Amino acid sequence: MDIRILPRTEPIRHKALVTALLSLGFALLAGALVFLGQGVNPLEAYAVMASGALGSLNGWAEIAVKAIPLTLTGLAVAVAATMLLWNIGAEGQFVWGAIGAGWAALYLSPSLPPMLVVPACLLFGAAAGAMWATIPAALKVRFGVSEILTTLLLNYVAIIFMEHLYFGPWRDPMAFGFPGTPIFPESAWLPRLGKTRLHMGAGVAVLAAVCLHFLLAKTKWGYGIRVSGHSPQAARYAGISAAKQTFTVMAMAGGLAGLAGVGEVCGIHYVIREGVNPGYGYDGIIVACLAGLRPALVPVYAWCSGRFSSVRTDCNPPCSFPRPSDWCSKARCCSACWFPKP
Amino acid sequence: MTQDAPLLSCRGVTKRFGKVVANRDITLEVRAGQVQAVLGENGAGKSTLMSVISGRYRPDAGEIRMKGRTVSFSKPADAMRMGIGMVYQRFMLVERLTVAENIRLSAGSCGISAREANRRMAELSERYGLDVDPHRTVASLSMGEKQRAEILKLLVQDARVLIFDEPTAVLSQPEAERLFEIFNRLRSNQCGVIFITHKLDEVMAAADFISILRRGRMIAGLAPSRIESRRELARLMVGREFVLAVDKPEIQAGDPVLELENVSGKGVAGRTGFKDVSLTIRKGEILAVIGVAGNGQSSLASAITRASDSGEPTSGTIRFLGETVEAVRWNGSEAIGYVPEDRHRTGSVHGMSLAENFALTRLKDCGDGPWLDRGTVRRETAQAISDFSIRATGPDDEAGSLSGGNLQKLILARELARNPALFVAEQPTQGLDIAATEDIWASLIKQREHSGILLISGDLKEVLTLADRIAVMFRGRILEVLDALDTDAVGRIGLLMAGGME
Repeated sequence: MDIRILPRTEPIRHKALVTALLSLGFALLAGALVFLGQGVNPLEAYAVMASGALGSLNGWAEIAVKAIPLTLTGLAVAVAATMLLWNIGAEGQFVWGAIGAGWAALYLSPSLPPMLVVPACLLFGAAAGAMWATIPAALKVRFGVSEILTTLLLNYVAIIFMEHLYFGPWRDPMAFGFPGTPIFPESAWLPRLGKTRLHMGAGVAVLAAVCLHFLLAKTKWGYGIRVSGHSPQAARYAGISAAKQTFTVMAMAGGLAGLAGVGEVCGIHYVIREGVNPGYGYDGIIVACLAGLRPALVPVYAWCSGRFSSVRTDCNPPCSFPRPSDWCSKARCCSACWFPKP
Repeated sequence: MTQDAPLLSCRGVTKRFGKVVANRDITLEVRAGQVQAVLGENGAGKSTLMSVISGRYRPDAGEIRMKGRTVSFSKPADAMRMGIGMVYQRFMLVERLTVAENIRLSAGSCGISAREANRRMAELSERYGLDVDPHRTVASLSMGEKQRAEILKLLVQDARVLIFDEPTAVLSQPEAERLFEIFNRLRSNQCGVIFITHKLDEVMAAADFISILRRGRMIAGLAPSRIESRRELARLMVGREFVLAVDKPEIQAGDPVLELENVSGKGVAGRTGFKDVSLTIRKGEILAVIGVAGNGQSSLASAITRASDSGEPTSGTIRFLGETVEAVRWNGSEAIGYVPEDRHRTGSVHGMSLAENFALTRLKDCGDGPWLDRGTVRRETAQAISDFSIRATGPDDEAGSLSGGNLQKLILARELARNPALFVAEQPTQGLDIAATEDIWASLIKQREHSGILLISGDLKEVLTLADRIAVMFRGRILEVLDALDTDAVGRIGLLMAGGME
């Protein structure tokens, strides 16, 4: 047989779709190899995953529960990256969101009508996250310090501060010595869907993605950010102030990640304690990159990531397999990297 | 002087990018001791051909022979090893290292020892007249010196064929003449030279042989002696009659738009600043600032427009439309249109559509309040595309897909749409072909009716075609402001640009 390899002269049609399907295929294939290596029938394993996560309303809701913070932190990374700012600090901003919401829930709620407690939690959480994110913005604008470094390092400061609060001044005296704040009053709980854990944060996350998409596409502010992302010189030439933009974008990113923190403490845990921040800030970077930094796609990829991480719990008992999700998401990232961005 | 096998020959070279055939069945020969000019409009495929020869691209078909032996390169280093070196427009030198360090660095990668490199450097710079101080850092060199350092670097690596991509675009007249002198030395030392150019004068002055590309094909190869007139050469290049001259009707100069009084400024990021510049630009006139690149013009443009980071004013006063401000407080104005030198990264955003690019400096006019009115901008862009005969399928094309000339016309259209009182054009036709240059010149002349125009250029021909008054800039100072109609004075411009004062 005569095989000749020729350079293709026309671009691939529907490149984004082909990319997505191929990377999903590679991910499943890579996962299957791992399952085989462990002596597990991959088809059986995938069947368990499918029935576990997608077979029931609760399965779907659990995926969404993971997708909510991932969407918001993903957006926090994506909006900053649109103007070439690398926000590695979504984790710290998330933590400050939790702190802000915690303060509103624990200390402000007694003096508020119950109806206003949830809005106050959202507001204070977002504001706290935004405030935290303006520190790297200020350092960058004033002293030219790389935001990659400052956002990353400030994560640890935020986490230690939160630990200080729930080990110290905010600690629940009635908790038999377990570190953590008292349970939030019910007025601060985000409404949930039926008996599932799916909470109002889902609406907030989707709304945030839609708003951000339109802000970037339809406003002069968003236009300026996109120009800065493509070419800082062109932005300078167009009279767009890089300093102002750095502040607004970082504050917005911090606010979004802060909302993710609010969702976790007011929608899931109802307290601040160890484990409220399982790394959603960092996973948000992966989500944002997979979505090609496009806000409209962030919820979709957050959902995919959430789906893989809920597989973790489904698969452990039947397949006695440790953390297949990590393999799946790694393979998925790798395969996404093989293709040029559409 | 010629040998049997040519030094370099290409046969049937074809290169495609997607559907576009950039080079089709090209045959080219360079003999030892020959200086060959490659002519063609933008997009004719000159740069692609040079990239194929220098190993940056692999041809889809055809072969390249070096001294009769078939060669194939997968990277520029392979070509260098065979003795083919290229001098790019943006020099491939490490700015923070000295000339000698740069040369040893690249020589080392070819297995030449530092001692050997030093020996060759001394010998070759003598033999070819490439005087450049090896101990100075590249950042401190003039463009001409950088170019000589680059040539020396290639010769140290045993280059036999040297390819130059528009070598004179950044040089003053005296420096260009000096380059042609170096070409002569290369010729007498049996090297082969290929140089890309748009300028017909240079071809007649320096080339032994002329190859003309049009739309990816080699349409003619001939000796300069066989060409009867420049007009004929232009016709061969463009495919139709063309005369590079524009009609410039007399118009009365009006009130001063911009007055600079003893303005000094500093250059940012290694650029030359400027000192004690006093200039007046009136409505209806074109004032040209001419100088060799790197003599403070870009800091001056930046200080006036405040739209780039190349420089800022430090003292003096600026009067704009009757209002006087201290230069240090000057923040530019909405009423200044500005065509920046770097049309690809500053003047436009490659990854965005033409319509989005058309909004770049006009955001205030592109919708109410915070909203960007895409519909209106698209309509305006479509109008500009037809008014300025920009070759594009529509406002949704990506800016990066346009050729340099068409992109420049879009930028010009956008800046004119701002209806500016002062129009600053920095190197507006650098690297553009004849047709685009002519369009841009005509637009600038027409715009005089509405604005004062500051033209910053290194191209003497452009300045003589357009300007009413000519300020010559050298090392940050304005040496003289000449009347463009004073033929005696105009004759001195070349000398002044090189810093000569009589």
